[in-house]
Amino acid sequence: MNIIRAPKHVVAVAAAMALGSVFPLSGQAAETLRYATVGEPPSLDQHVVTSDLATTIAHHIFEGLYTFDGNYEPQPLLASGEEVGADGKTITINLRQDVSFHDGQAMTAADVVASLKRWGEHGSRGKLLFSNVSDVSASGSHSVTLTFESPFGPWKNLMAFINGGPAIYPERIASNAGSKPIDVKDYIGTGPYKFGEWKPNRHVELVKYDGYQSPPGAASGYAGERIAHFDRLRFIPVPDPGTRVSGIKAGDYDYAESMPSDLIDDLDGDADSKVVLNGGPIFGLVFMNSKAGPLMENFKLRQAIQAALNKEDALRVSIGPEKLWRANGSFLPKGNAWFTESGTESFSEGNAGKAKSLAEEAGYDGTPIKLLVSTNYAFHYDQAVVFTRQLLEAGINVQMVVVDWATLIKKRAQPEEWDLFFTHHGFVPDPILISVMNDNYPGWWATQEKQQLKSAFTATNDPAARKATWAEIQALIYSQVPTMKTGDVYTYNIASPKLSGIEATTLIWPHFWGVSK
Amino acid sequence: MLRYLIRRIGAFLPTLLAASFLIFVFIRLIPGDPAAVMLGDQATPEAIEALRVEMGLEESLAVQYLRWLSDVVRGDLGDSIFFQVPVLELIVDGLETSVLLALMTMVWIVGFGLPVGMVAAARRGSWLDQSLSGMSMFLASVPTFWVGLYLILIFAAILGWLPSSGYPSIFGEGGLANLRYLLLPSIALAAPNAALIIRLTRASMLDVYREDYVRTARAKGIHPLRVIVRHVFRNALLTVVSAFGFTLAALISEAVVTETVFSLPGVGRMVVQSILRRDYPVIQGTILMIVLLYLAINLAVDILYAWLDPRVKLR
Amino acid sequence: MTTYATATGFGGQKLAFAGLLIIATLAVCALFAPWLAPADPIAIDPLVRLSPPSAAHWFGTDHFGRDTLSRVIHGSRMAAFIGIGVVAIALGGGITFGVLSAVFPRLGMLLMRIVDVMMAFPALLLALALIVVLGRGVENSILAIGVVYMTTTARIVYGVSLRLKSEVWVDAALAMGARTPRIVFRHILPNLVSPLFVQASFVFAFAQLQAASLDFLGLGVPPETPTWGNMISESRIYITRAPWLLLFPGLMIALAAFSLNLVGDAARDRLDPRLQAAFGGRSRS
Repeated sequence: MNIIRAPKHVVAVAAAMALGSVFPLSGQAAETLRYATVGEPPSLDQHVVTSDLATTIAHHIFEGLYTFDGNYEPQPLLASGEEVGADGKTITINLRQDVSFHDGQAMTAADVVASLKRWGEHGSRGKLLFSNVSDVSASGSHSVTLTFESPFGPWKNLMAFINGGPAIYPERIASNAGSKPIDVKDYIGTGPYKFGEWKPNRHVELVKYDGYQSPPGAASGYAGERIAHFDRLRFIPVPDPGTRVSGIKAGDYDYAESMPSDLIDDLDGDADSKVVLNGGPIFGLVFMNSKAGPLMENFKLRQAIQAALNKEDALRVSIGPEKLWRANGSFLPKGNAWFTESGTESFSEGNAGKAKSLAEEAGYDGTPIKLLVSTNYAFHYDQAVVFTRQLLEAGINVQMVVVDWATLIKKRAQPEEWDLFFTHHGFVPDPILISVMNDNYPGWWATQEKQQLKSAFTATNDPAARKATWAEIQALIYSQVPTMKTGDVYTYNIASPKLSGIEATTLIWPHFWGVSK
Repeated sequence: MLRYLIRRIGAFLPTLLAASFLIFVFIRLIPGDPAAVMLGDQATPEAIEALRVEMGLEESLAVQYLRWLSDVVRGDLGDSIFFQVPVLELIVDGLETSVLLALMTMVWIVGFGLPVGMVAAARRGSWLDQSLSGMSMFLASVPTFWVGLYLILIFAAILGWLPSSGYPSIFGEGGLANLRYLLLPSIALAAPNAALIIRLTRASMLDVYREDYVRTARAKGIHPLRVIVRHVFRNALLTVVSAFGFTLAALISEAVVTETVFSLPGVGRMVVQSILRRDYPVIQGTILMIVLLYLAINLAVDILYAWLDPRVKLR
Repeated sequence: MTTYATATGFGGQKLAFAGLLIIATLAVCALFAPWLAPADPIAIDPLVRLSPPSAAHWFGTDHFGRDTLSRVIHGSRMAAFIGIGVVAIALGGGITFGVLSAVFPRLGMLLMRIVDVMMAFPALLLALALIVVLGRGVENSILAIGVVYMTTTARIVYGVSLRLKSEVWVDAALAMGARTPRIVFRHILPNLVSPLFVQASFVFAFAQLQAASLDFLGLGVPPETPTWGNMISESRIYITRAPWLLLFPGLMIALAAFSLNLVGDAARDRLDPRLQAAFGGRSRS
């Protein structure tokens, strides 16, 4: 009996050992952060994609030459500093020497030049800067020189904004990439986390990069020290907001983004969750068509529409709790260096009588005005419903055209298809990045008055002069009404109370270096 | 039987081919394009155009269709525009969720529907029969997504007994315990679909009672109970087989909604999400697979039914 | 004989009567909605948003501060409109294709193959694809769902007509030199009335559920229209905060579909057993 029993025992031990080697039972469990996202990012390529979700994931992998500190001031990240020529037209950026890519290669000027060129040619925000750049070249193994046609004030802010911005890729990847977003296998950056895997419909996973060299200085905003505590960051698509809330409460996730605004009071007092407000508000924008249709050049009619709207009502309906919205007409929020009340007296008049008389002056004959809006973003649709009703009361015949987002972006590119369309804008640290400043953005606002002010705005580096010009531009927006801001919305996320190192508010996108469980 | 088989299988391929053409044309008629969705709000028209060319969306429809079809025949459904991985890989991954969900739902339906149908038949015409029938008909009339939302509210958000959403693979971390993620969705899906099997079970049981088996058997001196058990079993099997075919169609349809409500990574939700992203290869590949699956299962069920029940006329 | 019929009847006559009562109530709501509703269903009042049921708002208010009771009552209009529209398309198309196929066998071969292809798509997927191509809209929802049930109806009509065509008295009529139109109008169509009544009530019931599903997925009737499906879709993110918002529209969908299912079921049991076979169990959902 014993003889027969013994081998069994041996087998059992061997099996246990074999299993042990497959599933290591290490005492120190790998720490993973589980982040519930609103959906799936389109691609992580920061040059060409401007999705906020993509940046939330990607800014752990990719880094730019500059980044923003806690006061939205640009600070060096991969750069170590710069020298601006006396005429303001040449800028030499020095690079940090200790940086390596996730494939082990050291970062040099060649990588930076190739990345900037690709961004300038194909990047969504790159053209803003590069329409003014005559040359980018390496001026040393770790220095890069940019030559401008004329001095360009906002260059550093543009460089520091990673969303649709100049992330630094290895030269071989950047120089071979065209207009198409780069392949998943080419997600090689310099950040504290490297790309792990993308399982469609399940998760995107990042893995701690052991060769990471943090930039110097104390952490402030995205600048300064970056330490990765988690071994892995896992971004899981959970499109239903209610489900994200339940998931945090049940401990299925550590962090969940974009919560329903009406739940903030319940969640704030809850022991199972910690509310994290987003520091930079997003804001709705209703663009007007400057290329075709009844609103094309009829500024009076545009003002009539603007005068009819009571944006506070729309914000209350669509957002709810008052701490999450501000009926603020300034494009950048109070407290920000760019805040100005110039022109904002026309922001939310809700005056049907004034609208009627303006419309009459404009010679409005009741032509239907098509308002294009999507249901993919609930607050767009909710506010559009309120506006439509307010406009009808003022005798302006607005017809909602409700489509999905993919159809909306297709239709808005065709001037005959719409008169108004609803979108929203993320927080940006420099007004030059606001879409209405771009002449090619649908709506196509490019009046002479705009052009003059815009060149004055970019031509100088002097902060005071730029602020004064911005106030004039904002006033012009309220009189020519190429777009209507619908008010600031503060989105918020919730975190598991176990996370430490999370700041009370996010700067723009949440980041998880310096955070632990 | 053989001729029946040949005829049924012969009709299968042309139907599939015609369906593939229909799918392809339909999808190209959808307004919007994947390049614009991908590049986002700030993209320039030139960038979108350049990307369209790189994606091969500027070629003629006929060329695109023939290329797709010849690839499909070789087992290649193309790559997802959005995820840049083969569509087949996405479908295989999605099928794990969808098939397990369907199976679990069938377990509820059969486990609940068969006994209820039998009880209703045994007590035919009684108060119990009427209320069971009424109840099952009411469940059949309730929208699945509505039931699903309240199940999440009660069992996940308030009581915290079951996970609210998602489904991690049983082949990964957590193993078979991950099946608990499918409990609420499968109950939501089973509720409206149990009525059919209850009705079919009840009707086939009544047939057994009505038919002369019992009387004949008694005349032959065989204990009637033995006959009933044999016939009851056979009828129950037939009912399950036919109900499976009927119900499966409904399950595939309703899974689109259920998977959306519960954020399940199945093929149904994939279709909806891909439509919103205009990810053409995924939409057409997934719908084609669903149609193929649907036709194949219906064929299998019909053949099985014909084989099980010799009374079926092989029309 | 009568006792036997009751015994076979799945739902039973009492339930069918209850179904008729519910249908009548819903029809009254649909017809007199503007007079029955206590408030304007699209009037916005930000100050009372998400209020629970109260004397002023029996079913509470949604996030726009709109009165849920009034929206539910107005929703019955759209439900009736969609139901009738879908039944008209499904039956109109189904009868035409089914009868033509039965009378002209060559054409029938082709038409029935087309029906086969359409039926290879699960119902909701087919409706979804049609809607995405046509765009959101009341008419498009009706058309999309109508086409889906047109296929099943055509198949049933085809089956029943073939059976009728082979009956002795049709043969006799043919022998006496009756022309095709006469056969169709005299002998086939009148006999289709009761099976089509059964089909109509099931299609009406299914149409409610399909339309609600499309609305829920954001691919149905434009969201500004108060339908029960849209109400659920719009309020779903408030379910933890205001669970009653989804309760009433959901119950209405269920009641509408339930009552029609009850009536359809009772009617099916009274059908000529030879025609019952055409229905099988294969009603599409």
